[in-house]
Amino acid sequence: MSREGGSHGLDHTRDPCPWVALSDFGGAFCMGAIGGTVWHGIKGFRNSPYSERMIGSITAVKARSPVLGGNFGVWGGMFSTFDCAVKGVRKKEDPWNAIIAGFFTGGALAVRGGPRAIRNGAIGCAILLAVIEGVGIGFQRMMAESTRLEMPPPPPQQTSSGSEGRLAPA
Amino acid sequence: MGVWDVFTGKKTTQTASPSNPEATLRDPAGGSIQPTFDNVSTEDVSSFMNTPGAFDPAALHPLAGLNQDTLDYLTLDDSALSDLPGGRSILPSRGWSDDLCYGTGVTYLTALSIGGTWGLVEGLNRLPPSAPPKLRLNSALNAITRRGPFLGNSAGVVAMMYNGINSIIGHYRGKHDSFNSVAAGGISGMIFKATRGVRPMMISGGIVASVAGSWAVTRKLLFE
Repeated sequence: MSREGGSHGLDHTRDPCPWVALSDFGGAFCMGAIGGTVWHGIKGFRNSPYSERMIGSITAVKARSPVLGGNFGVWGGMFSTFDCAVKGVRKKEDPWNAIIAGFFTGGALAVRGGPRAIRNGAIGCAILLAVIEGVGIGFQRMMAESTRLEMPPPPPQQTSSGSEGRLAPA
Repeated sequence: MGVWDVFTGKKTTQTASPSNPEATLRDPAGGSIQPTFDNVSTEDVSSFMNTPGAFDPAALHPLAGLNQDTLDYLTLDDSALSDLPGGRSILPSRGWSDDLCYGTGVTYLTALSIGGTWGLVEGLNRLPPSAPPKLRLNSALNAITRRGPFLGNSAGVVAMMYNGINSIIGHYRGKHDSFNSVAAGGISGMIFKATRGVRPMMISGGIVASVAGSWAVTRKLLFE
């Protein structure tokens, strides 16, 4: 069974570690802001009286989606920073980095709630990231099945097997 | 040892290593075999290592004459390393997604810091210096949490819209220059305040367009 090669963790489209936190922050912010626009737009639309639905939708978007964007952005930036820190400490690239970083991120975001909230948040976030990484690895294996090479048939057996390893008599 | 003598420049004379020319090897069939290696007349390694052409790499392999002239496909021309329009400057960027992510992230964090500082000053000034430090700290934290993320979120949204519109305009025009930046800044400023009325829209559009224009000019002056 062919396994994934050593290039499992090598993603050349991302920048090296200190700067990638900025990029991840911005990307997560944009995802949160645009997703929040859709979500709160629909929610504000549906929760407004009939004659004021558009205004209600726009007001909800203006009030809520930047906040959601900021929350996503902080989560993404913190996760990326912890990921870089864990990679620097462990000096390896594998899915455990993301899971450990998720553990710390979940804990850091729940700091104001006390030790129990920190523990629960950390475990929850680590499980979420374990699921994400597992699904990612599953997809990679599925995609890689289509490019698996078959081993060529072994060469035919040699007939002269006794001519090595013996000193020629004088 | 011959190699180290060559490197350190010492000249030594060594006798040939003593050996036993009487040694014979026994064939499993019982006969004896004369050794064909006559190691009495061995010379020292330095006899050939010290000759001038000893380390000629061309003698190793047909392709061993490696130099810049013959292997010009391996020399990387610096100017051809990246054809992307954003690859030339000190702040490199691979395209619209890089611009969007880095621009939004940096703008958010800058605005967060500015808002946090503003909140800190405001919170500390709200109470006289004679008040107990815990109260002042609490007031400062409240103000930071109120001002910082608000400014950060707003600036991040404006930056996101600006980068998106800038990339769209650049894509449809085919080139990236300061006109795109100013137009994108104006449009995103106007959208940001669109629900307040025409006059705030124009004011906000003007402010963001001028900020975008000055950033484009600064970038061109300093970084390219």
